[in-house]
Amino acid sequence: MALAQQIQLQGDPGARGSARRVAGSPALRLVGRRLLAFIPVLLGVTFLTFAVMSTLPNDTAQSILGLQASPSQVAALNHTLGLDQPFLERYWHWLENALQGNLGTTVTGSSVNHELGTHLPATLILLAYALVASLVLAIIVAVLAARKPNGIMDRLSLAVSMIGLSAAPYAFAFLLIIIFAVKLNWFPVISGSLGSTPVSYFRALTLPAAAIGFPLFAIYTRLLRGDLVEQMTREDYIVTAKAKGVAPWHVLTRHALRNSMFTLITVVGLNLGTLIGAVAIIETVFTVPGIGSDLLNSIMNHDVPMIEGIVLVFALLTVLGTLFADLMYAVLDPRIRYGSSTS
Amino acid sequence: MAAQLPETAYVAAGTAPPLPSLVSDRQLRAHRLGRALRLWIPAGFLILVLAMCFLWPLIYKLPSPTNGNIIEASEPPFSPGHILGTDQIGVDIFSQLVYGGRVAFEVSLAVTAIGMLIGSVIGVIAGYFGGSVDAVLSRVLDVLIAFPALVLALAISQGLGPSEFHVILALAVFSIPAFGRVTRGATLTVRAQPFMTAARLAGSNRWQILTKHVLPNIMPGVLSFSLLGIGVVIILEGALDFLGYGIPAPNPSWGSMIANGQQVLTAQPEYVLIPSIFLLITVVALNMLGDALRERWGVQ
Amino acid sequence: MTESLLEVEELRVGFALGGRELRAVDGVSFSVNPGTTLAIIGESGSGKTVSCRAIMGLLPTGTAIRGSARLRGSELIGLTDSELRRHRGTDMAMVFQDPARSLNPTMRIGAQIAEAIRTHRQVTKAEAQAQAIELLRLVRMPAADRRFHEYPHQLSGGMRQRVMIAIALACRPKLLIADEATTALDVTTQAQIMELLLELQEQLNMALIMISHDLGLAASYADEVIVMYAGKIVEQAPASRLFGAGGAVRMRYTRALLDAIPHLERPAHTLLPIVGGRPPDPTALPPGCSFAPRCAYAEDDCRAKTPALTEHAPGHSWACWHPCENGSGMSKGGAA
Repeated sequence: MALAQQIQLQGDPGARGSARRVAGSPALRLVGRRLLAFIPVLLGVTFLTFAVMSTLPNDTAQSILGLQASPSQVAALNHTLGLDQPFLERYWHWLENALQGNLGTTVTGSSVNHELGTHLPATLILLAYALVASLVLAIIVAVLAARKPNGIMDRLSLAVSMIGLSAAPYAFAFLLIIIFAVKLNWFPVISGSLGSTPVSYFRALTLPAAAIGFPLFAIYTRLLRGDLVEQMTREDYIVTAKAKGVAPWHVLTRHALRNSMFTLITVVGLNLGTLIGAVAIIETVFTVPGIGSDLLNSIMNHDVPMIEGIVLVFALLTVLGTLFADLMYAVLDPRIRYGSSTS
Repeated sequence: MAAQLPETAYVAAGTAPPLPSLVSDRQLRAHRLGRALRLWIPAGFLILVLAMCFLWPLIYKLPSPTNGNIIEASEPPFSPGHILGTDQIGVDIFSQLVYGGRVAFEVSLAVTAIGMLIGSVIGVIAGYFGGSVDAVLSRVLDVLIAFPALVLALAISQGLGPSEFHVILALAVFSIPAFGRVTRGATLTVRAQPFMTAARLAGSNRWQILTKHVLPNIMPGVLSFSLLGIGVVIILEGALDFLGYGIPAPNPSWGSMIANGQQVLTAQPEYVLIPSIFLLITVVALNMLGDALRERWGVQ
Repeated sequence: MTESLLEVEELRVGFALGGRELRAVDGVSFSVNPGTTLAIIGESGSGKTVSCRAIMGLLPTGTAIRGSARLRGSELIGLTDSELRRHRGTDMAMVFQDPARSLNPTMRIGAQIAEAIRTHRQVTKAEAQAQAIELLRLVRMPAADRRFHEYPHQLSGGMRQRVMIAIALACRPKLLIADEATTALDVTTQAQIMELLLELQEQLNMALIMISHDLGLAASYADEVIVMYAGKIVEQAPASRLFGAGGAVRMRYTRALLDAIPHLERPAHTLLPIVGGRPPDPTALPPGCSFAPRCAYAEDDCRAKTPALTEHAPGHSWACWHPCENGSGMSKGGAA
């Protein structure tokens, strides 16, 4: 999964570009352009999902009613559920409703909005937990590694990152369970009931967050370390800082790190949407009641509205993530915020 | 009298030379050795694994990876006839590993090949011709990439029934846009180089430029990326197997081994650990090889 | 005899590159008196920048540096980085060539100046700010208090260089090294910055080392001139002895540089007497005089034996077997 995210980054020359030397356009124009570009993507993704789900042989009604149901019962249910209409019409209906905020009803009869509403928080918190923890750790490790390139810390961080990038989330999840839940008993094996107190909540989410966060940590560390070392060896303002007499540690943290944050933030934002697969699997393994495990169940039940709803949420996350990255960029990069004045 | 310009006219230049990177002789040799090791150790390991999965069963008769003798259930490693022992229903673990590895490589190589062929063509066209062609193709690629691969794969598998072929199909849908993006980026970079203008001015036609200039220059990047890609697909395929939507049981696969091992996680963690570790070092080897080749060929 | 501020003796700097040694600086000695201006002139690769960076300790780790450089009596070569840091910014400071790249683009310039102050002095943020604004005024930055809060990209090239100078002067160093400080600027700004540097030098009684490829600059502003080629000093003299009336340039390379300066007095369409060829590969220096391959007057002894830098006239040293005679020695390609 982490590799998949790396692939996202590699293909886009803009994303990994020289973050420190970009000439900016005013923030609003950027945001506006991005939004316009995303609408077709959102439409495309939801349409494609619908198309796939509709073209594949489905037996939603059959699976609801069971094997004993008669063909006429199945047909009747299909009609009730609207599953016998041509798929373009169905998509159009769904879209109309979606734009008004109504995401339809699941095959079990409950409202999609309701289901999402109850399960989304857990997923969002899990994601936030994973992102924040991996970011913080990545910054710490990358800075320590960049302090002495090819030193012990550096080699160690590169080795750990390599493992993080290569580890399959489902396999790593079990490793975590074996070590931390079974042998050490620090964390619960199943996160089914997240508990009422914040402490128990976080205890329950720690292992799943670690499973999601480890590959992220690997990507961020690699990226940040590379960027920091490149700055320290190539950039002139680093030499100026040294010439001032600033200690190497401060040069690294006050000058290089500051500038690397741009690239890092962009990457974090871009990555967001690619996490859907990992989230789905991890939530299932740890039985976290979030929309990831919902997704797998919905696919099993061929619950198209639910699937669409979840896919939409993740697509929105991707869009928002990229938007956030661009906005942060616009806000933090003084060249964009202030434009240039000639005197 | 015709003024003759000296062949290398030199007027005092302005910029100070960049300070060369510092490597002492001993360090240089250690550096070179390290580089060679980083290339050949993972490469060697991969060759061994491939040999193990594809050649070994031809030489040595392995116990069946699908049918197990319940009498021999849960044998520990190094038992007679079962190097790595057997699982809960008596199926030999080592042969599951070997045949599962076959599947993993078959699927990943097939998917990557498809992605590389089709995706690269799309990417190069988008990158080279630019304009509206690029705009349209890029949007399509964006949508395909934003589309959750897992959902698609699961849906296909669920709808059409699980099989190795369907897995390849589903994952190819993800692989094509990935390659498309990468080759497009690489093509854009190459296109911006001065020698491209020179080639056009020299009168080369489009086909010549594409084959003689663009392709050779993007090849290193594409190849090292495909190694990464193989790793990704192995993991994704494993995920599908793990969820039960990949290779249909009782055919062996690393993912299903992990899923089976889940049931006895506390009692016999090795059923999960063995395939997991194998999966990990295979992907690590692929990544390391990809990195080493990138370093060797100077790709960004 | 005033005691010299900076005393450099037999400075050698070498890098290991691909199994060979790159001798960037090969036995350079000079001294700088307080309050005076020394110009180090040379092409790219002559070693002028590397020598000064060696003194400042700004070369990458692992560089081999030998010799001695004494600042006010204390030896700089061989100190650890933390020891050298105490001198950097306080006793000696450097201004670099490209102010666009030498300033951190995401940090306000005021903060960058204040950092220079607070690295060495225990002052509060407010005090540092006040001092920084003072420094901006010192370098003749208009609207100093407003500029304090601005980012580098909001300033023009000349103003950025003033900021660099302000940073360098933060702790009133006794020695300022200007490494091609005006090369990236347009001619008018160049003159302004040079004037500024000289005013500041007088005001603060500071010694100035000017590194440049421009002999004309040296002629206008320097007290003492050193010409470097391929890591060695090839000519060294007070400016008055080299330029202008009564001045005589001896070493052929210096002569060639001087002749390559375009003059308005020359008739139109005269071929510019440029120096042919390239600077030598520092890892494979030819035997004998390093300039011999490009010198129009080279003879066999030039290619056989390296001339040593000797003081042939009071205060004036050169390294050449066949130096120019007084006033003569026009290189080929001059006015027909």
